[in-house]
Order: sequence, then C-alpha cells, then structure tokens
Amino acid sequence: MKHEGISGAFRIVRTILVYGLFMLMILVWAFPVIWVILTSMKHRTEIFTIPPTILFTPTLTHYADALTGNDILPGIVNSFLVASGATMVTLLIAVPAGYAFSRIRFPFRDRLSFFTLIAQMAPPIGLIIPCFLLLNRMRMLDTYTGLIAVHMTLTVPFSIWLMVTYFQDLPSSLEEAAMLDGVSPFNTFLKVVLPNAWGGIGVTAIFAFIESWNEFLYAVVLTGSNTKTAPVAIFGFLAAEESRWGPFTATGVMIMAPVIVVALIAQRHIVKGMTLGATKG
Amino acid sequence: MDMFKRKIRIRPSYIRKQERFGLIMTAPSLLFLAAVAALPLLILVVMSTYTIDLTFPSGNRWVGLKNYMQMMGDSRFWHAMRVTVVYTASTVFLQVTIGLALAMAFFKGFRGEGFLRVSVLLPMILAPVVVGLAFRTMIMTPEYGILDYLFVLLGIGSKPWLVDPTWALVSVIVIHTWQWTPFAFLVFLASLTALPPEPLEAGLMDARNGWQRFRHIILPMIRPAVVIVIIFRTMIALRAFAAIFSATGGGPGTATEILNLYTYRESFNSLNLGYGAALGTVLLIITVGISMIFFRLRQSRM
Repeated sequence: MKHEGISGAFRIVRTILVYGLFMLMILVWAFPVIWVILTSMKHRTEIFTIPPTILFTPTLTHYADALTGNDILPGIVNSFLVASGATMVTLLIAVPAGYAFSRIRFPFRDRLSFFTLIAQMAPPIGLIIPCFLLLNRMRMLDTYTGLIAVHMTLTVPFSIWLMVTYFQDLPSSLEEAAMLDGVSPFNTFLKVVLPNAWGGIGVTAIFAFIESWNEFLYAVVLTGSNTKTAPVAIFGFLAAEESRWGPFTATGVMIMAPVIVVALIAQRHIVKGMTLGATKG
Repeated sequence: MDMFKRKIRIRPSYIRKQERFGLIMTAPSLLFLAAVAALPLLILVVMSTYTIDLTFPSGNRWVGLKNYMQMMGDSRFWHAMRVTVVYTASTVFLQVTIGLALAMAFFKGFRGEGFLRVSVLLPMILAPVVVGLAFRTMIMTPEYGILDYLFVLLGIGSKPWLVDPTWALVSVIVIHTWQWTPFAFLVFLASLTALPPEPLEAGLMDARNGWQRFRHIILPMIRPAVVIVIIFRTMIALRAFAAIFSATGGGPGTATEILNLYTYRESFNSLNLGYGAALGTVLLIITVGISMIFFRLRQSRM
C-alpha cells in the first residue's frame, strides 16, 4: 500500500512537470507567431508601449497600409503565381519519376535515383551563381519561367523522394492484376495507380508549394520589379523603414497565413511527410 | 498463381516494354535536373577559374587557379569557415539534444498532444526571411523586443542581441535552433512511439536509474533516427541563408558571416562572380564530401 502511495505521488509530480513543460513549449514555439499576429493589429502607439499590451482594440489599418503603400500586394500575387507554377510542373514530372523509381525495373535505376539526391545536396548559393549568369545571357532574369525553373531544383528532388516512399507503401496487387489483363504500363499508371495516389500527391503538392512560397535566396537574386516575390518585398520594405513594425507584421501575417491554414488542415500528413524518411531509415 | 505471374514477367518483350517505360517516366525529371542543376554546377567550377567582373566585362579572362590561391590568403574566407563550423556544429548539437530531451518527456503520450504538434509545426513552415526579420525587430530589439523585455523582467538585463559581435552569433544560432528543433523533436517522438514495446519494457525493468535507461536501452534503439537527424540538420544548416541575411546581414562587420553569406556578398554585392564561384565550389566540395562521409557512416552502421 505504502509503495503505491509513493508511486502515485510520483505520477502526479511527473504529470505536473510534463504539463509545465508543455506550456513552456507552447510559449517558446507558438508565442512568437501569435505575437506577430497581435502586433499587426495594434495601433501604432500601442506597439511601442512598455510593458507590452496584451489587451487592445484591434485595427486593420496596418493591413491597408501594407497593401496600398508599396510592392507587397504584387509580391503576394507573384509568389502565388510562382509557387503554383512550380508546384504544378514539379508534380507533372516528379510523380511519374517517383512511380518508376519505386515500382519499375529499368537499366541504371539505382544510379539514376542517386543522381536526383545529388542534385538536392548542391549548395543553393553555388547553384545560383551560374544560374544567374545563364539567365542573364538568355535575357530571362526577372521572368516567372526563370524563377520557377530554379525553384524546381529544390522541389523536384524531394518530391520524387516523397512519392517513392509513398508508392512503396501502396499495395501493388491492383497493378499486377491490370498488367496480367494486358493493360499497358502507361495506362496502368494513368487509370489504376494515379486514382489511388491522390493522398501522396496532395502532401507532395503542399510541401512543394510551401518551399517555393517561402524561398528567398533565388528570388532575391533573380527577380526585379516585374516578378519580385513576397519574401523579397517584405525584406526590402523593412530594410527601408526599420521602425514600421505595424505594416511589417501585417505583411508577415499575410505571408504566413496561407501556409498556416494549410498546416492546420493537413497537420497530420505534414508531420508524417516530414518524419517519414527519418523514421523509416 | 505465383508461378504463372513469374512466367509472364520473364517474357523478353515484356521486360523491354517495362525498361522503356521506366526510362520514359523518369526522363523529364532527369533531363530537367541535368539541365538546371548538374550543368550549372559544372559551369560553376569552370567559372571559378575565371576573373568575371560584371561591372568591368572587358577584363574577364581565364586565370587558372588564381582565385583559389587568393582564397588561401584571404582572412575573411577563413573567418567565414570558422563561423560556419561554429554555427553548424552548435545548431545541430542544440537541436538534437533539446529535441531528444523533449521527446523523452512526452513519448508516453498525453492529452493535448495534437495541440502540441500544431504549435511546434508552426516555426518550421514559416519563411526564414520572415523569421529573421521578426527576431530582428519585435523579439530582439533592446527594450521593445519581447525577448529583451522578458530578460529585463527576469532581472537578467537588456542584451545587445544583434549589435555585439559575440551576441549576434549567439542570436543567429538561437534563431535557427528555435525554428528547427521541432523537426528533431517530432522525428524522435515518432521513432520512440514506434519502438517495439516488449524489449523496451524488459530493458526498463533491468535498468534502475533514469539516465541508465536512456543511455543503455533507449538510445541504442533510436540511434538510427539520431544519425539521420544529425545528417539532415547538418545539410540544412550548411544551406542556411535567409534567416541570417535578414536578421544581421552577416554583421555586425563579419561576425555572423557564414560561407554562404560571404559567397553571396562577393558575387552579388561586389559582383566578383569568378571569386564567388570559387567560394561556391569550395562549398560544393564541402557539402558533397560531408554527405559522402554520412552516407558511408549510415551504410556501415545499419
């Protein structure tokens, strides 16, 4: 009896500690994000009060400011065009490749799949120097096509890899049946495999979109006044006016919002996709 | 049934059809990566043997290994190497140790785990440039930044976060660790949850104190995950750019100038593309070299 009492008390202490840690983690990781959102809705005078105010009457003036004042709105539109374009083309070429690498036997398969990994190892700064020179020669600086192509060097390798792990988990019995019936490999892929793979394709699309949407280095080197994306625009904006935290946080929220909404909806799949490669070994 | 299948698969015409199909399906991706990733990297190496100055194009010429010779005597390059090593080693170490400790605390499962997952997911999906700018302004500005305010409140006092060279390096390490520790945490949490219960419980009965349990039972079982997290995070830390660029710009002076930032400044601020390409080539050799070492390590350990 006495033993149980001690372990019972121990369990309570442990529970309290775990929940304390839980609160601390929320504070450390979610609070800065919440703080950005709160600041974006404070009046200018309230942003710089000490101690900081938690309760205040929210205002949307900073959003109006950010959207009308400078190149934030075009930036968001450009980011959307580039990220959507990169995602679509990536899926178009990476999904078939992922399928072939996981299911089809063909010459040099392992060496070729290793090649896609090497492309992922390349340091971005090393890639952007020649790409800048090439696109400059081709007069393709500050074009959507140029930026989308360079963004795809990031999205294609990991999309292939994500689809490979996804297809490996998919049972192959339906495909085998189709092939036994004499359906061509391509038709099998199109009519039997794809309709069952939308889950994996959706997660891959989310990752590709976020990667391109957030990307900064390639965008800052390759874009000019026509195609400047939101991350480049917000950087330029704050560099010019260091103390305008209101419009800055409003812009930050607009850049974060689509990604956060997607993450809330698909959090389970995103966590799984992130940890998949690492837990499978 | 099985034998029947095998017979059909072995038919030569079928095999040829499959082989052609596999090549056609992978061709677009492979050709794309060859053209937009492999070819530019070759060009990068070639560029590193030239003097290329965009502001003075008539002076462009082949100089052999001159850029590399210059690099050996370039103290700013060696400084950038040191900062890169410190930044990479400390961010990876902090992510792994903090992530592992938190995962150990939570792996028994508890109410509110879903909420925790979403909270720790947030930093990882944010644009690094927004993260860097937010830390530079609202979080680390003396007095008005929320972190600095907290330090004052706790009696530690205001700190020169991004102004003092040493503090600036600490700050960019803190920013990276803040953004990416959740990754290590989630991976370790997933692999702890996936451990087979029987050997784990048998082992836990034997070991008396908590550290022994961790060191001799749990750690060996999740070593593959630890190795992979170290590999992933090292590769990512070596690609770091936007968060540092937006928080400190490599400064004050060159205090937080990792090799990526030095290469960027040399190439796109000074427009010395030849020397920048040589720096980029060194980075390429370092990253490929490290990934090869990791690759071997993984193969031999598992």
